[in-house]
Amino acid sequence: MANASVLSGKPGIAGELENRFPSGILAVQPTRDDVPTLWVSPEQARAVLSYLKKDAPQPYRMLYDLTAIDERLRQNRQGQPASAVSLVYHLLSFERNADVRIKVPFMSETPSAPTITDLWANANWYERETWDMFGIRFEGHPHLRRLLMPPMWDGHPLRKEHPARATEMGWFQLPEDKQEAAQDALQFHPEEWGMQRSEDDRFDYVFVNLGPAHTGTHGVLRLVVQLEGEAIVDIVPDIGFHHRGAEKMGERQTWHTYIPYTDRVDYLQGLLNELAYVQSVEQLAGIEVPDRVKVIRVMMCELYRLANHLVWYGTFAQDVGALSPVFYMFNDRERIHHIAESVCGARMHPNWFRIGGLAHDLPDGWDELVRQFVDYFPKRLDEYDSLVMQNPIFKARTVGIGAYSLDEAIEWGVTGPGLRACGLEWDLRKKRPYSGYEHFDFDIPTATHGDSYDRAVVRIEEMRQSLRIIAQCLRRMPSGPYKAHHPLTTPPIKERTMHDIETLITHFLGVSWGPVIPAGEGGVPIEGAKGQVTYYLTSDGSQTSYRTRIRTPSFPHIQMVPFISRGELLSDLVAILGSVDFVLSDVDR
Amino acid sequence: MPWWRSDSAHTPLSAQADAAHTDASYERSTVEAVQGSVLLARLQDLIAWGRKNSLWPLNFGLSCCYVEMATSITSAYDIARFGAEVVRGSPRQADVMVVSGTVFIKVAPIIKQLYEQMMEPRWVISMGSCSNSGGMYDIYSVVQGVDKFLPVDVYMPGCPPPPYAFMESLLLLQEKIGHQRRPLSWMFGRQETQPLMMPSKRDEKQAWRSQQTDYPSIDTLPITDALFRRPGERRPGEKSPNPRRPTGG
Repeated sequence: MANASVLSGKPGIAGELENRFPSGILAVQPTRDDVPTLWVSPEQARAVLSYLKKDAPQPYRMLYDLTAIDERLRQNRQGQPASAVSLVYHLLSFERNADVRIKVPFMSETPSAPTITDLWANANWYERETWDMFGIRFEGHPHLRRLLMPPMWDGHPLRKEHPARATEMGWFQLPEDKQEAAQDALQFHPEEWGMQRSEDDRFDYVFVNLGPAHTGTHGVLRLVVQLEGEAIVDIVPDIGFHHRGAEKMGERQTWHTYIPYTDRVDYLQGLLNELAYVQSVEQLAGIEVPDRVKVIRVMMCELYRLANHLVWYGTFAQDVGALSPVFYMFNDRERIHHIAESVCGARMHPNWFRIGGLAHDLPDGWDELVRQFVDYFPKRLDEYDSLVMQNPIFKARTVGIGAYSLDEAIEWGVTGPGLRACGLEWDLRKKRPYSGYEHFDFDIPTATHGDSYDRAVVRIEEMRQSLRIIAQCLRRMPSGPYKAHHPLTTPPIKERTMHDIETLITHFLGVSWGPVIPAGEGGVPIEGAKGQVTYYLTSDGSQTSYRTRIRTPSFPHIQMVPFISRGELLSDLVAILGSVDFVLSDVDR
Repeated sequence: MPWWRSDSAHTPLSAQADAAHTDASYERSTVEAVQGSVLLARLQDLIAWGRKNSLWPLNFGLSCCYVEMATSITSAYDIARFGAEVVRGSPRQADVMVVSGTVFIKVAPIIKQLYEQMMEPRWVISMGSCSNSGGMYDIYSVVQGVDKFLPVDVYMPGCPPPPYAFMESLLLLQEKIGHQRRPLSWMFGRQETQPLMMPSKRDEKQAWRSQQTDYPSIDTLPITDALFRRPGERRPGEKSPNPRRPTGG
């Protein structure tokens, strides 16, 4: 497409689109993360998206994210078309190893847009979420109803006029009538979801309600399963029981004091959340962190990846009936938590990364702790192989269960081990290295069948690769400062705080009012334990974020569960849920 | 003295009569002889002892705290040491509900439903800051503390509380249950037996407590602590009453 680029004068996909849709492209917006961001008129948006998915050379086949921004209070919008509420589509091309962002402006405060559920299967939930949070209608959506908030909720929480605090909204009470109304609202009506009851008098489907308080659903997830005998005909997931308003919280907390909230987005992967957030803020602020910070971050993140995978491993084995492995694996997780506690002072929610560095340096003796673990753990992994992976019952329960092809995975927005289990060698640590991953020697494990067993195989090999990375950190830990020399490092380097009054004032302002991050947009995607995580941050040049969008992997993964469970048995559903590895806080945020 | 051992079955009556008149060694030897064979106790103490050492938690988790609660079941912490490892999936079989995590507006009716399905006596441990007060989530979707609609027996601070904090709260609950009085169920009325209404003070004060906005500062806590003690009661490890502290009663 070199020709096209010459015509418009702009390289890459922006030029391609401007040539093909000369009237549709309203503006090209520069962003901090250099993802081509194009404003497209509402009339042409669907055609542009369809072109990008189907007709463009090296197409953008994955709908990575879909969200909106309430622009009404935003001040720094130079060069962007006028808009009250904007839709943001984020697409990903594996062939190009590139992203594109399509923004659609709407002047109406309660706009409607055509649905793209026929283009991408996973647009279904994203559009429902956007309707729920922003009040944007999607014409032609099959079930446009609230996704995260309770059905009788009033208002759309991420709009700027909606109150953020519970304490602004009056006293919470749960009298008998409200309790009964809420229980009635939970009653499932198959007809509302287009599910047919049987026309045969002698036979009817069984609708089984699993959750939200169920031991097999790993948290407050509700699944209504339509059964024909024991076989699954369809599933309707009901989520939102764990919606903590993390995105709205980002508009209230300062850039600095939002870090502990990121820990709790996926509460099993601890520092990996913080890495995704802190790197995005550093990109907006233009901070380059020292090498020692990068290596320490990599080491701690890989430890948390191990901790996450250990929980998944144990509970997955438990789900299919192996009751003892979880005890071994939680013990090993305790060893990781012991290291984390020594380094960060906390177990699950370390709150240890800072904008521009770390809270403090590694403690004396950290290397001995990590070395002991690196020496100890490989033997345990071998033991678990024989205990779980070679176990014939485990194999019988997982091989061939919940399989999907690579095309289906891309269609549904699957990332992380679930994608690699289909044979695609796609790991952001290799493909778009961040935090110095390009200097580490490790492999991307893949598998071919895309079933529950292969997803397990990939994760277990990933644990071995994580150990390799940790061992390299141990051998080659650089010396140097643990914070960047940058005016927006929060809080600034302690020695300087104690030395000159300017840094002391900066410290004080940074932790009380918050650092002022320059206006701009961007996000650094990282390879989280469960898949790709992006904190897509919009700064309006103040101490708080104007819009914090958290793209989490569990959300599309859970959306896919009905698709991969159809035709399997009810007992297989538990194995599928275990193999998907999700956390409800990561789904609902 | 709540219990007392006695014996008479294995010693001939004549010997008993002789020994009773002669020396003190009789009492000691008979006590030793039957130790472990007869146990006399007040019924309410026996019931409380049994209850506190076999608390069955409901298998119900909300968020991060539940992972730490589950960790306390595993072998490094081993909650079986306190008789609380029998985690039940059904609320009808469970004694104690651990509200482990953030209480969302969407999930509150379900928590209440589960609580109402539990058989009495039932207890509630509020695990973690979110469940105690909303914690760091003063946000539109979160109830600011489970005590807005449930009575709570033990509040456990932390975000999340580590497994050892969970075990500590379990011990606190055990201590509370160990002091509970015998639950009288029926009494004779004028014409028939009637159930004895003994409403729980915890439930009675629930509405008033959940409306509290002013709390005593840290400095005043020892006094309230003393007020809640029974006369002469001492905390484990406390040698003598602190003369600076007013003793309650």
